[in-house]
Amino acid sequence: MRIDYLNIINHMNLQLGVLEEIILIILLMKDETYGVDIAKEYEKQLNQSISLPAIHVVLKRLEKKGLVNSQMGEPTAERGGRRKRIYTATNKGFEAARDLQHKRNEMWKLIPKLNFIGS
Amino acid sequence: MKSNPQPPNWPDKLLSRFCRPELADEILGDLHEAFHWRVDTIGVKSARRKFIWECLKSIKPSNLRSFHHLSLNTMIIRNYLKIAFRNLLKRKSFSFINIFGLATGVAAFILIFLYAIQILTFDDFHEKKDSIFLVYKERITPDGTQPTYDTWVPMKDRLLSEYPDIQSGARVYSTEARVIKNNQYIEENILYTDESFFDVFSFRLKFGNSDQPFQDKSSIVLLPEIALKYFGKENAIGEEMELFIPDEDTTLRFYVSGILAEYPTNTSLQPNMVIQMEGLPFYPRYASRWDNSFIETYVLLDDPNSAQSLELAFPNLVESIWGAEVMDNTNFKLLPYTAYYDNFVGSKKDARTLVFIGLGILLIAIINFMNLSTAQASQRSKEIGLRKVLGAFKGQLRSQFMTEAMVVSLLSALFGVGLVLLGTPYFNEFFGVTISLLQYPITQVLVFIFMLTLLLGFLSGSYPALYLSSVKVLDVLRQKFSFGKSVGLRNALVIVQFAIAVFLISSTLLIRNQIYYMADKDMGFDPGETLIINASAGDFLDRDQGIVKLNTFKNELKSKSYMKAVTMSRSVPTFWTRSFMFVRPDGWTGDPLRMRFTYLDAHFFDTYDIEIKYGNHFLPDSEGDQRNSVILNEAAMKAFEFTPENNNVIKIGETSINVVGVVEDFNFESLQNEVAPTLMFHRTAEHAVHRYITCKMEMTGLSSKMEEIEAMWKNLGATKSIDYTFMNDRIDRLYESEQRYMALITLFSIISIIIACLGLYGLTLFIIEKRQKEISIRKVLGAEVKGLISLIFKDFAKWVIAAFAIGIPVVIYFISGWLENYHYRIDISWITFAMTLITIIVLVTITVGYQSLRAANSNPVKYLKDE
Repeated sequence: MRIDYLNIINHMNLQLGVLEEIILIILLMKDETYGVDIAKEYEKQLNQSISLPAIHVVLKRLEKKGLVNSQMGEPTAERGGRRKRIYTATNKGFEAARDLQHKRNEMWKLIPKLNFIGS
Repeated sequence: MKSNPQPPNWPDKLLSRFCRPELADEILGDLHEAFHWRVDTIGVKSARRKFIWECLKSIKPSNLRSFHHLSLNTMIIRNYLKIAFRNLLKRKSFSFINIFGLATGVAAFILIFLYAIQILTFDDFHEKKDSIFLVYKERITPDGTQPTYDTWVPMKDRLLSEYPDIQSGARVYSTEARVIKNNQYIEENILYTDESFFDVFSFRLKFGNSDQPFQDKSSIVLLPEIALKYFGKENAIGEEMELFIPDEDTTLRFYVSGILAEYPTNTSLQPNMVIQMEGLPFYPRYASRWDNSFIETYVLLDDPNSAQSLELAFPNLVESIWGAEVMDNTNFKLLPYTAYYDNFVGSKKDARTLVFIGLGILLIAIINFMNLSTAQASQRSKEIGLRKVLGAFKGQLRSQFMTEAMVVSLLSALFGVGLVLLGTPYFNEFFGVTISLLQYPITQVLVFIFMLTLLLGFLSGSYPALYLSSVKVLDVLRQKFSFGKSVGLRNALVIVQFAIAVFLISSTLLIRNQIYYMADKDMGFDPGETLIINASAGDFLDRDQGIVKLNTFKNELKSKSYMKAVTMSRSVPTFWTRSFMFVRPDGWTGDPLRMRFTYLDAHFFDTYDIEIKYGNHFLPDSEGDQRNSVILNEAAMKAFEFTPENNNVIKIGETSINVVGVVEDFNFESLQNEVAPTLMFHRTAEHAVHRYITCKMEMTGLSSKMEEIEAMWKNLGATKSIDYTFMNDRIDRLYESEQRYMALITLFSIISIIIACLGLYGLTLFIIEKRQKEISIRKVLGAEVKGLISLIFKDFAKWVIAAFAIGIPVVIYFISGWLENYHYRIDISWITFAMTLITIIVLVTITVGYQSLRAANSNPVKYLKDE
């Protein structure tokens, strides 16, 4: 099973870190979104804070891997007159995330649960 | 929404400057938006901190512009650095003076800063500090107002129900309790308070529920150290703790419901065990008593500005509690919690003065740098001229010299920080403080050092850079260097240095005089050979038995051959009574006077060698004396307007009390305060009111005697171990903060003088170098060495005189302000200034003398053969 899992990733030539995966999923949830919005969602879902530079790095990496697209949006006053960069997940991104979830589910099923019941 | 908070500007600018333009919009926009979002969720302060932090974190290689965009020419910077280091190495002695001087200055400044910041941020830990007020009572008397800070148990609830502006309140009573563990009684401080204590003040819990620190009446909240001490673990929630309360003679059981989180050391409240006063079995006895004040009442206002209107409304409250008569001479007041430090602990002004001293030292070091660099100008003019001929712009030359200054200041800052790190342990031990550079986050420290370096480099480098780059090419080529106007400024700077030195030396001397004056002044009693044992009936499980045992102890002490006198009293000098009563002289119709009172036995005045000025001593063991006799101090006699010939009588309520004697005023507190009027009543040693045993004894072979006394105490079976002090130590401790202040100022004066002398030494070298030819010619023409030396010293004499003219008035202004705090104080004497003058002359002579002597004695041929 383990080899299979690695195969998929190798096949796509992708290594997805945990943070990358979470942010990719947030992107999939939200249709289109941007830095601060992701930070808010992250804190809401996971109950822990995250720094924006960290998000920016991850977004750049995802974009390089072709999992997300981006284009510039409109400036707003609360952003100090700066425009936002709006990110959307690509089909490839959707597939990568879906495959990961599938594989993980399959692996999860194989855990002999009896061993852990009651502990 | 009060106002719209904005993120700080500088990180934004910094980032815009260095960030790739195509990324700037996204990053900065996000940061701004996140700032506004965080203001709503985690508060302005944290949002701002996060903003700065994330801006700095966003400056990373992948986000940066390429070097071409930065328009920084790295080649030329490398060249500047190379030249800078070459110059440093070329003139080693000057580089040493510069770097060592600046480094010492930086170290002194950082130490002072660390020390002062602790004081200036005292109690800043409490988030609501601006809205917290201490309620106190002010008594209006014809001579002025007297504040008393202890208040009544029912006061908090009354205030809360009466005034909606008061949001919350907390009562605090700090006392001692004894933890019972394995049949041993261990003394600990304990705080009785309300649950709202945790709402008013910002103490949090490490374990337990911060929103509800107390589960029920028998809950206790502990400091982790205390939990560790008694339960062997920090998380001691649910553990049982047995406490003996000496004030009430009872033993109570508590259950740990919370463990306090760490709080800073610079807070006025330092709780280590906290319980709810309402839960105590003896609470109902005090719950509605308006005649017994002993607790502190803090209130939290909705709006700090409403304090004034509240104070105006308080007289009605006073009237409704005690009636109209009391209202006329009593008022409630609110003391802002931010003023607590100045009122009870120390003086923030002193800390601020120290910061100025630190800046002064830094200034001296910066002046050294400026003077030495401009003095060097003549030697570097060829280099500057050549650079100009080859096409260097003024701006480029300026940045070259700025780079040099920055290199020096960076080196100095690094050395300075090294000195601080090495020196703090000694500093802490010597001054009894706890400061450390490492207690702050490392990034903050680095940013601080970076800013300090920039500031130092800018201050010390900008003038020399401006000045050096102004060299005229033609003059250089004609070998005519004219740096005329710099001399005036240089002289002015040297005068400033001297003035700072004058100020520091004479202030140190004057402060020293005042402290010696206080320590040596006759306090009106004999503090020598005096042992004080802190012992009261409350130290025993059974009070009545305690009295008997204490008397046995006292008599045993008395029987020792080395004991000259033994007395028991309620209070002792250095820790005098704070209890007051209302009293009026017989036949007086005006308002009663509020006066301190205490109890003592008949041997007190003999033991302390206090003279009875009029009348008699108390008769030992006389019941009559105990009930209606009193001895006054002279201050009280004056307050009552008594004449010693009469049979004076005072009235407390309707009871008449005879004045049997008047003692000379003795200073029972720091000489900072005037001797206050005091009533002294007689109680024989068999009374429970006494708290101290004072022994006059022979001090030779003290340790074996103390062992014997300790063994005697142990046999009594008290609930605490023996607790003794010596009067002389207690008096020293009265002036502890002054002593520390003096030691600090002395240390930093010495540092500043060393730095100033270094600068002077460097400057002398230059002056002599420049005038060597002149000196040589004069010598050839027949001038004597004496005349030549006076030629050099003439300049310095002018500077010293000018520095005195500036420094002395500042000293007089500053020191007379400081002396205002002391009732018994010295006069500012001219001897001090004469001593300062001598010190400075000696220093200047030593610094300048050797070099000028050498110059005057040198062989003129050596310097004249070139031409």
